[in-house]
Amino acid sequence: MSKASLTKIEKGQSFSVNEEVDKYRAIYYAGASGDFNPIHIDPEFGKMVGLGGTILHGLCSLGFVAKTVTDWAGDPGKLKKIKCRFASPVHIGDNLSIQAEISEIKENRGCLDIKVTRDDNTEVLKNVYAEVEI
Amino acid sequence: MSIDKKFIGKTWPRLTYEAGKEKIKEYAKAIKNHDPHYIDDEFARKSKYGTIVAPPTFAVVYGAQLIEPIFFDNELNLNLAMLVHGEQEFEFYDMVKAGDVLTSEAKIMNIENKEKLDVVSIELMTQNQSGNDVCRGVYTFVVRK
Repeated sequence: MSKASLTKIEKGQSFSVNEEVDKYRAIYYAGASGDFNPIHIDPEFGKMVGLGGTILHGLCSLGFVAKTVTDWAGDPGKLKKIKCRFASPVHIGDNLSIQAEISEIKENRGCLDIKVTRDDNTEVLKNVYAEVEI
Repeated sequence: MSIDKKFIGKTWPRLTYEAGKEKIKEYAKAIKNHDPHYIDDEFARKSKYGTIVAPPTFAVVYGAQLIEPIFFDNELNLNLAMLVHGEQEFEFYDMVKAGDVLTSEAKIMNIENKEKLDVVSIELMTQNQSGNDVCRGVYTFVVRK
């Protein structure tokens, strides 16, 4: 992924990243975030409640999206807004595809519409939107 | 039973959180984010921030301590077995630097009663030790009836 020259961003510009949800990701995230809900760390519990195993924390997926944007922007302070709806679970071993496109330039902000899908093309996050300072 | 809309506007006591440098590094690595702004002391010292800064979504870490008392609030009485995190929104202002002392307050922004579920939106506002806004977070939870 090439970094943006944020003085030159324009509508329609796009970038994408793939993120692998490796076997222990939810455990690392639980430790760092303090969210030890068993649906994220206990495969037996995940099966019992019908999730087919453990699922990744939605906020970890959103963390991946924010990272994709700040890596592209080159400066973490440029990210001014991010939001999403948690639409579908992300399982351990999934690969996430994060595709972002500048949908609009508003004064000093670049507005990004972002699509986040797993291997089977299901959108795991919906209405994903971010604003970066330009 | 629906969640009573009278709780819209309810607040909880303000809480402080000190953003420790090593905690920031731990969080960054957990989201597979190896941007040197977060994890490389030498790079961070020479950066425009002059020190380690936190990834914007570190807001979930200092926000978590405010969400817990809401989940276990006897008066509000949320049914946690039926609760899922529906939506999340963050607006970022000043960057969080290692050593910052952050003060946050939580407020119920909205409650919607629908036929089969309730939607509860909680707003968290955070300032740093200089009194500058750092983050506004809106956590939206869906509780099935």
